[in-house]
Order: sequence, then C-alpha cells, then structure tokens
Amino acid sequence: MPRMSDRYLHVRRGVFESIPLFIPAIPFALVFGVVVGESGIAPWLGWSSSPLIFGGAAQITLVSLLGEGASVAAAVTAALIVGARHLLYSVSIAPRFKGQPRWFRWLGPYVLIDQVFALAMLRQDDNPAAFRAYFLSAGFTFWGLWMICTAGGLFLGPLIPSGWNIAFAAPVLFTALLVTAIDRWEKVVVALLSGACTVMLSGLPNRSGLLLGAIVGVLLGLLLESRRKSL
Amino acid sequence: MSQFLAIVLAGIGTYLSRAIFIVALADRQFPALALRALEYVAPAVMGALIVSMLTTAGGEVLIGLPELAGLGCAAMVAWKTRNHIYTLLTGMTVFWVVAAIAV
Repeated sequence: MPRMSDRYLHVRRGVFESIPLFIPAIPFALVFGVVVGESGIAPWLGWSSSPLIFGGAAQITLVSLLGEGASVAAAVTAALIVGARHLLYSVSIAPRFKGQPRWFRWLGPYVLIDQVFALAMLRQDDNPAAFRAYFLSAGFTFWGLWMICTAGGLFLGPLIPSGWNIAFAAPVLFTALLVTAIDRWEKVVVALLSGACTVMLSGLPNRSGLLLGAIVGVLLGLLLESRRKSL
Repeated sequence: MSQFLAIVLAGIGTYLSRAIFIVALADRQFPALALRALEYVAPAVMGALIVSMLTTAGGEVLIGLPELAGLGCAAMVAWKTRNHIYTLLTGMTVFWVVAAIAV
C-alpha cells in the first residue's frame, strides 16, 4: 500500500507537467468554436462533443463536415480516420496496463490523448500505483482544461468578424499537425498526393473524395515503403 | 438529432480506438502490415482534409494565392519550429497580407 504522500506527489507531478503541454491545444479550442459557429450547429450541441469525443482534431473534422452537409456516416468516418493514430497509442501503451485494475483499464483510455500518451511513455519505470496516479491526474487535467477552453472558444469564436476569414485557421492548424508528424520523405509525398486526389475528386457527393484521397495516399505509402525495403 | 447521433458515434469510435488494445487485445500481436499502413493514415488524411476544408460542399475548390502562400509559410514555420502557435500566427498573417495585396 503506497503512502498517501507518495500518491500526492505523483498526482501533483501529473497536474503540473500537463499544464505547459496544454498550451498548443488552446488555438484548437478557439478554432473549434469558430467552426461550430459557422456550421450552424447549436453551441451546446457542439460543445457536447468535448466530453463525448475528447479529441480536438476529430471534433473539428466532425463539426465542419456536418456543417457542410456531409452525411452522418461520412462525417463520422472522417473523424474516426483523423483519430486513427490513437490505435498506435493504444498498442504502444498497452503493456503498462497489464496488471492494472480493471476499472483503470476501462477509464484510462478515455483520456489517452496525444499529450497524455507522450507524458505517460516517459513513466515506464513507475510502479503500477504511481503510474495510475500520474496517468489519471495528467489525463483529467487536460480534460478539465479542454472542457473550459472549448466553452470559451464557443463564446469567443462568433465575436471574431467574419471578414477576417478566421476559419482558414483550421487548415493552417492541420498543416501544423501534418508537418510536425513527418519523419520521412515518403509521408510528404503521401500527403501531397492525397491532397491532389481530393481536389480532383471534389465533385463527388458527401465529401467521399476526402476518404478516397486518403485511401490512395495510404496505399501509395505502403508501396513506397515496400520499394525501400526491397532495395 | 442526426448531428447528436454523429457526435455520439464519433465518441464511441474514438474511445474504442484508444481502448481496444488496453482493454482487450493487450497480449495479441498486431499484423506488421497493418501497423505500417497506420503510420501513413495520419499524413494521408491530413493532406486530404486540408484540401477538403478549402472546398465547398458543392465541390468548388477555393485555393488561391492567399491560401497557398498562407499554408506554404505555415508548413515552413511548422517544420523549423515544431510550434503550433507560431505556425498559426504565421499562416494567418501571410494569408491576410497576401489577400489584402491581391485584391
């Protein structure tokens, strides 16, 4: 049984190490507010995606596609594909959840966002109780801040004059996400080709060009990689 | 109503994508090909999504000089600084300046 003061130490560490990492999420919260405002979706309904989805890129994708009249199936599929990196997090961090209580194995994944994953992977050597205290305190610090900031974004977004075309911030932020995730040239080629395909297929209904463009990109990535391996 | 349904479905799907290996499949090996394909999902989707955000529902592509300049400069700043806030400020400023000059 860990002493109470030990647990307090890990909780405090989780909270304080999360706060600086939350700063990059603030523009996402603002852009989310703008996107909800432009989509015509009721603000409270848009905000409900914060506790229900808890993932900025997926929330922005879902709301902007719904606002443009995409079908439920198309918008949900696109949002899930945007969030597909969570599968990689889930695989990578699963060993740390072996031997943890069942409630934590169910609750922990709910707050497994990019930053929590990055922080928790640095805590490989903690004992299970310390890992649990750290993971949950970091995760729910991000959660609380995200609930507050997306509500703030919904309030501030509509105050920005429409002549500023602030919605352009959404593709700019996604460019930031795209570029910072690039670790080999194949991914640049894949992103450019997916974009080009999406332009060419932009006339298709329900934004299916988006999905087809992405599928073409993934196939090209696999092709490029298998060629590199065989050289 | 269908909008709320979409949010709930996306929420369930997002949770499952985070939970599946932790809750259920921790001991199972994921096929190597699938893991490699997953690596390319992010750049492919982001590339497609950025373009899609600059396209109207009717299929009209709204990519002009201000958009290209803004995204190009944003990409460079993101590559150099790895900082989302600098990237956002640069992309928006270039977009506004080029749009003001081009008009």
